[in-house]
Amino acid sequence: MDNKLLGLFIVFAPLSLLSFGGGQAIVADIQYQTVEVHGYLTNQQFADLFAVSRAAPGPSTLIAALIGYQVAGFWGAIASCIGIYLPSSLLVYGLANWWQRKGDTPLKKAVERGLAPVAVGLIFAGALAIIRAANVGPLEIVTLALCTAIFYFTKWGSYTVIFSVAGIFLAIYFITT
Amino acid sequence: MDANDKNEKTSIQTASLLDVLLAFLKIGGTAFGGSTQALVYREVVENRRWLSEEQFLAGQAIAQVLPGANPVNLALYIGLQINGRLGAIAAVLGMVIPAFFIILGMGFAYREMSGLDVTHYVLGGVAAAAVGATLSMGFKTGRKLRRNAKTFIVAALVFVAIGLLRWPMIPVVIIAVPLSIWLAWLDVREAK
Repeated sequence: MDNKLLGLFIVFAPLSLLSFGGGQAIVADIQYQTVEVHGYLTNQQFADLFAVSRAAPGPSTLIAALIGYQVAGFWGAIASCIGIYLPSSLLVYGLANWWQRKGDTPLKKAVERGLAPVAVGLIFAGALAIIRAANVGPLEIVTLALCTAIFYFTKWGSYTVIFSVAGIFLAIYFITT
Repeated sequence: MDANDKNEKTSIQTASLLDVLLAFLKIGGTAFGGSTQALVYREVVENRRWLSEEQFLAGQAIAQVLPGANPVNLALYIGLQINGRLGAIAAVLGMVIPAFFIILGMGFAYREMSGLDVTHYVLGGVAAAAVGATLSMGFKTGRKLRRNAKTFIVAALVFVAIGLLRWPMIPVVIIAVPLSIWLAWLDVREAK
């Protein structure tokens, strides 16, 4: 039990410092660490928990709390939360005043511009990690494509879309079985 | 006291730790998805006048650029500005605690229902929709990148290394981030 708490902290603490742009960027490595390296979860559980975290309010990094809860109960959730939030918070705390004083310098501009493409690459890697972990059939692929288009071209709220999809899948399940 | 001075006094208000905690509990309990920043703005800048618009925008930039969840970083920054170290802790706890307990409740529900086929089936659909949200975010932020070959190549290499080749993320990012900042630095200097 204690090993698991420490293990969860050790999985999430380094990722905290790499979560540029939030939870999207580290999804690929969360899957890799929790499923393939530590065997805390099956791929199915990981994909399920990812979905649950997306249907919940709050920052997407709270998937750490959900995984921690699944692996080691309430204290697992706490250990994971400390891991995912403490390192980045200390960094923000340390840099906040310095960064603000810095004004519009070329270095600051370069840091902002330089981080952006890395974050974009990580976002797509995260999407691919979920697709790999989930059981993706034709219906899921159609859903994925449609939802990508909806989120890209419309301003529909993400909860409207996500809960509509949940409702449609529920209906399809009961109709077909 | 002249008019300007008076304006300064009324525009920025001080707050106790409890005020900060309660304000962020309210935000954390009601913010869904992308609405967080808008809610923080309304509460902290418009309603309570704890920060100026400029301070808020600087905080937003820091929250986005540095690693960590944007809402959490933003709360930390604002709490720090209002009330120092303890203000930062109060703001972060306020932002995280409501969502933390909601997601624990959902985690509990998932445990209870994970034996059912229908659970996996519906969550599979939700995951597909959520990946759609992730992809569209990737396309949107990708479109905002500087249009040159370098940024495209950096993004593509990161995707190929971590997404396709499944290399571990930490070494890839440790190499990619300084490289990418250096490339951007060359551009920024050239533009001067």
